[in-house]
Amino acid sequence: MSEVQRQHAEVQFKAELDALQKSDNRERPPSWKLSPWAVTEYLLGGKSEHGVEITPKYVGDRRLIEVAVSTLATDRALLLLGLPGTAKSWVSEHLAAAISGDSTMLVQGTAGTAEEAIRYSWNYAMLLAKGPSRAALVPSPVMRAMTEGKIARVEELTRIQADVQDSLITILSERTLPIPELGEEVQSTQGFNVIATANNRDRGVNDLSSALKRRFNTVVMPTPATAEEEAGIVRMRATALGRALALPAQPPALEEIRRVVTIFRELRSGQTEDGKAKVQSPSSTLSTAEAISVVTNAMALAAHFGDGRIRAEDVAVGLVGAVIQDPERDRQALLAYLDNVVKERGWMDLYRAARDFSD
Amino acid sequence: MTVHVFGIRHHGPGSARSMLASLRKLQPDAVLIEGPPDADHLIGMAADAGLKPPVAILIFDVEHPRKAVYYPFAAFSPEWQALRYAAEAGVPARFIDLPMALRLGQEDEKDDGETEKAESEGGAIPAAARDGLPGDPVRWLAEAAGDPDPERWWERMVEQRGSSEGVFEGIAEAMGALREAWKPPGDWEARREAHMRQAIRVAVREGRQNVAVVCGAWHAPALQKMPSASTDAAILRGLKAVKVEATWIPWTHGRLALESGYGAGVESPGWYNHLWTHAEDPLPVWMTRVVRLMRDQDLDASPAQAIEAMRLAETLSAMRGRASPTLEDVTEAVQASICFGSDIPVQLIRERLIIGDELGELPPGAPAVPLQRDLEHQQRSLRLKAEPLERVVDLDLRNPGRLAVSHLLHRLLLLNIPWGVLQRGSGAKGTFHEIWKLQWRPEFALAVIEAGVWGNTVVEAATARLAEAAEAVIERLRERAALTTDLAQMMGALAPLASTLRYGSVRKTDADLLTSVIAGLVNRVADGLVAGTRDVDDDTARDIAGLILDVNRALAVIGNEGWLEQWRAALESLGVRANRHGLVVGRACRLLLDASRLAVAECSRRLGLALSRGADPTQAGAWVEGFLEGSGLVLLTNDELWQVLDGWLASIRAEDFMVLLPLLRRTFATFPAGERRQIGERAARGAVRTAADDGEDIDLERAAMVEPVLRALLGDIDG
Repeated sequence: MSEVQRQHAEVQFKAELDALQKSDNRERPPSWKLSPWAVTEYLLGGKSEHGVEITPKYVGDRRLIEVAVSTLATDRALLLLGLPGTAKSWVSEHLAAAISGDSTMLVQGTAGTAEEAIRYSWNYAMLLAKGPSRAALVPSPVMRAMTEGKIARVEELTRIQADVQDSLITILSERTLPIPELGEEVQSTQGFNVIATANNRDRGVNDLSSALKRRFNTVVMPTPATAEEEAGIVRMRATALGRALALPAQPPALEEIRRVVTIFRELRSGQTEDGKAKVQSPSSTLSTAEAISVVTNAMALAAHFGDGRIRAEDVAVGLVGAVIQDPERDRQALLAYLDNVVKERGWMDLYRAARDFSD
Repeated sequence: MTVHVFGIRHHGPGSARSMLASLRKLQPDAVLIEGPPDADHLIGMAADAGLKPPVAILIFDVEHPRKAVYYPFAAFSPEWQALRYAAEAGVPARFIDLPMALRLGQEDEKDDGETEKAESEGGAIPAAARDGLPGDPVRWLAEAAGDPDPERWWERMVEQRGSSEGVFEGIAEAMGALREAWKPPGDWEARREAHMRQAIRVAVREGRQNVAVVCGAWHAPALQKMPSASTDAAILRGLKAVKVEATWIPWTHGRLALESGYGAGVESPGWYNHLWTHAEDPLPVWMTRVVRLMRDQDLDASPAQAIEAMRLAETLSAMRGRASPTLEDVTEAVQASICFGSDIPVQLIRERLIIGDELGELPPGAPAVPLQRDLEHQQRSLRLKAEPLERVVDLDLRNPGRLAVSHLLHRLLLLNIPWGVLQRGSGAKGTFHEIWKLQWRPEFALAVIEAGVWGNTVVEAATARLAEAAEAVIERLRERAALTTDLAQMMGALAPLASTLRYGSVRKTDADLLTSVIAGLVNRVADGLVAGTRDVDDDTARDIAGLILDVNRALAVIGNEGWLEQWRAALESLGVRANRHGLVVGRACRLLLDASRLAVAECSRRLGLALSRGADPTQAGAWVEGFLEGSGLVLLTNDELWQVLDGWLASIRAEDFMVLLPLLRRTFATFPAGERRQIGERAARGAVRTAADDGEDIDLERAAMVEPVLRALLGDIDG
């Protein structure tokens, strides 16, 4: 198993899931492997009754996870909306792992995702040889989830074309999937549900039709509430990534990460953290995921070209690159921000480095 | 003889329900309520069906009407329900708190300014003044129970409780324990409790057999254990009273809300009112109201979603171990199921339903607030009736009476009372006429009350409001300045702002604020000057060149060296850009030359570069225009520049000259007549000067012709 680059959640956290299952004696919705309470605990972390440490999978507002789990418990489909880096896919995978013990019923949404990927397709050799039959039918992950009573995941739902998206409507409202070619239908069994994720800021997405939207309960995953929290996430993920890439650089000081996170947050929100001054927001997304990549980038630079200690210059390169997407407008926004905020704050090393790179 | 003490929470519907149930069972022969005895004469009006909550009792110092206190009541306030119960059951009700006359009287001795401020903020008394203790006792209980949110904890433990059995005993016990751990009551709290005990003694002395006391939960233990009457009398001795007046006024749910600054306020008056009126099964009606509100706003919301929201709310409350959904569960469910996760509609629901916009009503002929009286007085003296029908009046401002009307209407506008709306464009009769559309709407009564926090007369309130408005305007300006990206807009704003700063039409504190706004603008103009002048067409270039002049002048007037330096540095980097519009670059070079930031030699090099043969003649012309516009004096005093320009003009090809002539003429036309004449004279003798400067090109033939005359004049030297 060690050759696998990334294991499914239900494999990687098997010990935790088993421990929770053993101690979980509360009521479970039909076909659920765990009770809603245990699922929440699995996501948020804690200690199981038998003393097994449950690592937190999601750092943030407990109430969001409660709403998400309750939604699934009432048989409603769940839509997780948010910027990149707000852990949508991460939460969806862990919810599926905890509820169905299987996070692999996955449809990855792209502009090219066809209806067959959501409904079913055919084994054409068999279809030609023997004519239409259930044996010649190739079920999609959604169809398999329906028959097995598991959670199906649709990633990046808004990337899928609108007419293809709408093929989910019958599945969600009637809980059946008609197969007109055979004059049959597949009815979902207890435990089937859908978790979809979507990015609400990317350009070039296909908005959900209101008919489809109404069939979901929507939970908006926020960008981390406090700079402290966000810095913690960035540090945790950047350090883990650095280890995966075998970077010899020391994990960055929290101080440096906090500065990156603060700059990202302020540019994103359009005002300084103390709420005293407005700043111009650039057109870039500036998600937590990008903050993570700025920090790992700085680690790589420091490791390969420096002495392993991260300096302002290493951070500034990635920072400027992440902020300036539109060369004229964003550049001006960044320069104004550097002059009015970064300089005022006395971060002179970062100020000079960033100004150098953006000139 | 028995005394029952009901420790309630102000504006708690659960408290009200439990209390009402207990009162009905108890059948007391007197109801004593924690409230101001100064308003005892108003209690009778509670029986009047015309008095519809939310209403408030307003008590103010007759001599200093700014010293005022509001006691709000909602339909779900236990105090209000106690008043109504007494009225319906026909038993006497009485307020027993320390009279406001005494409290305002004592505050007289303290620092005057401070108390006035505290009382006028949001028109509500601070929590500490009302409950007589620092902080919220419920918070301490909630924290002990492990819930960081006292409102939520109380709602779950008390307000949403099904049965009222033993609630008051439990609360009193908990508060008793808290009070023991707490430091002894402060002076005011002790006096208030002493007064309440004295009032209970009075009731008992009158022979009441069954007395119900309704008071804040915190005070309940103090009213159950009675010390000797003489101790209380000693505490109350020597208090000075002032003359106060009390009146009912209509109130709103919005002003009951905690966020309005009302200390004893609740977070969700609208929700509490809903719980009070739909006690049996609040959820379906609430969800229906939410869905209808969304539809009123043209937002997509179906009954199916309302059902899903209900299911989710119930599941959430089960998951969180609650018997029934709290407002928090309900709102989260609404957000996920009806609002598609967005918090913008939730804000709307918060405003309209959770807080609510209900307005109380007074029976006709009820007394009113001081500002209202002043307004009525002015309406009478100006003979301007408040009428619900719209009408248009034409005010001739030369008539002092009409002028006074205009003043009044303008002042009311400042106070957010748009009784009159000034009409534009219809005043063809000259500047001394104002045309107003007048219409009095009933909700202005509330606006008058709200404006009452600014002062007790229209003049006083408008003056106070004006000062604050000026600050808000500057604050807004700063936000706009931070967000705009348009260079021309920023530059255009700089000049008037600079003159405001220079001539100081604002107060000192505002000047500081303004300085920071200007500093930000200078910063960003300087930063954006080079980028903002890229790829501009002729018209824009002309605008910007004009603005550059304005900004330069404005900054010179202010005389802040730092800003000038920043600005000139920006001009310098603009001055060397070859790919910017000639007009702008020429202007920058000229200003730098004037400021001695550019040596004449360097300037003429640039002029030469701009006018060099390879350059586009129209751009070269624009450069000259930018450089020279306004004054040609520079040409007269700087020979080198003159030479370059002169050489360029002489070298232009005929067809280019035709194109450039109007442009050059326009430029030179802007010079003062004297300068033009001198330039002309200089040009006329240009060739002579050239010959004299340059010894190589002497015309020997012409020289020979002059020689005999010179000889004659000077005398034959050689002989």
